[in-house]
Amino acid sequence: MEHLLDVFNIGLLQNTLRTATPVILAAMGGLMTEHAGIMNIGMDGMILIGAFVAVAFSFTCSSAAMGVLVAVLCGILIGLFFALFVVKLRSDEFIIGMALNTFAGGLTVYLLRTIFGVKGTFSNTGIIGLPTLHFDFLDSIPVIGPLLNDNSIFIYLTWLLVFLAWVFLYKTPYGFWLRAAGEHPESLETAGISPHKMKFAASILCGIFCGFAGAHLSLGYLTMFTEGMSSSRGFIAFACVIFGMANPPKVFVAALLFGFLDALGLRLQSVGVPSDLTATVPYITTILMLTYVVVSTERKKKRKAQKQLEINKST
Amino acid sequence: MNKIIASLKNNRTYLISLALSIFVALFIGGMLMLVTGFNPFEGYAAMIKGAFGSIRVFGNTITKMLTLCLTGLAMTVSAKAGLFNVGGEGQLFLGGLAATVTGIYLQGVSPLIAVPLAFISAAVVGGFYAWIPAVLKVKLKVSEVITTIMLNSVAIYVCTYLINSGGPLATQDYGVLGGSDAVPVAFRFSQIIPTSNLSTALFYSGFIAFFCWYLMQKTSIGLEMKVTGENERFSFFAGLPKDKIMIWSMVASGVICGLAGMFLVYGYQFRFQGSISNEFYYDGMLLAMIMNYNPIGIILMSSFFAIIDIGASAMEFSTGISGEISDIIFAIIIFLMAAQKGITKYITDRSTQKKAREKIRREGQ
Repeated sequence: MEHLLDVFNIGLLQNTLRTATPVILAAMGGLMTEHAGIMNIGMDGMILIGAFVAVAFSFTCSSAAMGVLVAVLCGILIGLFFALFVVKLRSDEFIIGMALNTFAGGLTVYLLRTIFGVKGTFSNTGIIGLPTLHFDFLDSIPVIGPLLNDNSIFIYLTWLLVFLAWVFLYKTPYGFWLRAAGEHPESLETAGISPHKMKFAASILCGIFCGFAGAHLSLGYLTMFTEGMSSSRGFIAFACVIFGMANPPKVFVAALLFGFLDALGLRLQSVGVPSDLTATVPYITTILMLTYVVVSTERKKKRKAQKQLEINKST
Repeated sequence: MNKIIASLKNNRTYLISLALSIFVALFIGGMLMLVTGFNPFEGYAAMIKGAFGSIRVFGNTITKMLTLCLTGLAMTVSAKAGLFNVGGEGQLFLGGLAATVTGIYLQGVSPLIAVPLAFISAAVVGGFYAWIPAVLKVKLKVSEVITTIMLNSVAIYVCTYLINSGGPLATQDYGVLGGSDAVPVAFRFSQIIPTSNLSTALFYSGFIAFFCWYLMQKTSIGLEMKVTGENERFSFFAGLPKDKIMIWSMVASGVICGLAGMFLVYGYQFRFQGSISNEFYYDGMLLAMIMNYNPIGIILMSSFFAIIDIGASAMEFSTGISGEISDIIFAIIIFLMAAQKGITKYITDRSTQKKAREKIRREGQ
């Protein structure tokens, strides 16, 4: 019972929020490209570059805002680059995505060693982390108070961005066009809007979100850069997009669930479970959840078809 | 020979773009060295020297090439049947681990029994680890791309747990941080070039490659695989057991990866460590994809990447330029070759437009 309390406490929920946020941000980017009909497997590399650039500029300019700004600018560039290859030059998106991951891994390590002269991890008191927010009125509320207080500013920003992503996709014409670019590019073309442009826009948005995710990872979640610190979060975000059916609130919940499992793994370490084993939990869960979602949607489809058949027979 | 020349002629644009991409990638790599304050000529000279400088390093380059060829072959086998095995890295890790464990536990047994058993264990474990996503894909339609990527991370974490200090397989040997016990000397592959990494794994790899080539080109199984990969529905209506074909080719891909992992351990690393493979599978997979799964292309490209990779680590040692530059050069080549069709189309479109415009102008006069 004591162990149980060690594992399940308010810290678990706090960690959930913290670990889920980079995945949520990346997944919001991933669902944009998913709606535009691009399989974006390169988010991991985008996050990694964002994380590196954020730390590098936060350190050299002694300003976290500068770090975030440059990370987002880099995200825009990478998004453009990705779209140039995938949309304009019609390359295989899978190859480009995987190559982007290799490229990001190589480039960040190369620059880390050449510019900062360190191997592995770059942590320095000169790196300015993102500020945390404190609301006085929340202090008096139990559970929710400590949970929602003193978080990195990006955690609040993420909730806003999820809402904005939903509004953008489902309540504005731009979102409508973006979805049409993936679902039925011909009709969008007939309506006089270039699907290519919408795909470019989706890719750039994805770059921006991944830049945010990277900046949060290296300036909010931790205040350092480690080689390969994205550690497959881009892939998990991709999986979240798939089983959230690219719908922002659903993807948000999926990513939170991932964060919960990740945090649970971290907590289990304190009870003596080896950290390498707990680290596998989110990956295994992703496979199980994905299987569940795919199987249940297939079953739904079949049921619908059967019903339709019965209706057809009776008439 | 004539066949090869003919195929070279047919693929002229492809070969020219390949040469150009390599040139552009090396140029960008050189610029990066220049910007970060190094002399690119010195760097590339050190790279060449690092890959060919002595017979020993040449052996290392060949070994690296073999690993890339094997992983590329594994990707080819699954891709021909229409499945993307992205999980070769995990299969390689587990295959290597299984072979190592077999070797350690069979210490003292005759190598004639133990080594084949190690082969079998690597193949079975690697194959099984590929079987999971294959069944999920074929029976339940779960995208194999995501599941294999996830399984990679799972395999790597499990292996790290087993061999890290405190883990059940961690060695007590002095000076080894995070590794299993060494494989008994009697079981190790004998070296072809002394003190280099090149071992008799060369012949085993060659045999695997020949076997796969024969299976895919000369037997009906290969044809059925290709039909299934190119058109799943056609395969279904032609009465082929398409589910079985897809699952088995994925398993074959996993078997090859598992054996590649075993060759790494038995060939030159001699104990299982977390650094056994540094995304070797991704490299092999990508180069197989950009070479359109052409065997000769894969061998050529593997050699090139092996030179860059082995050369880069020697370069890091002698000039201080970070060896990660090889990853950057590699990625740029992949980018350009993946976009090869798009770029050539863009250029030819431009030139035909230009010609047409000139023709109009001439006719106008």
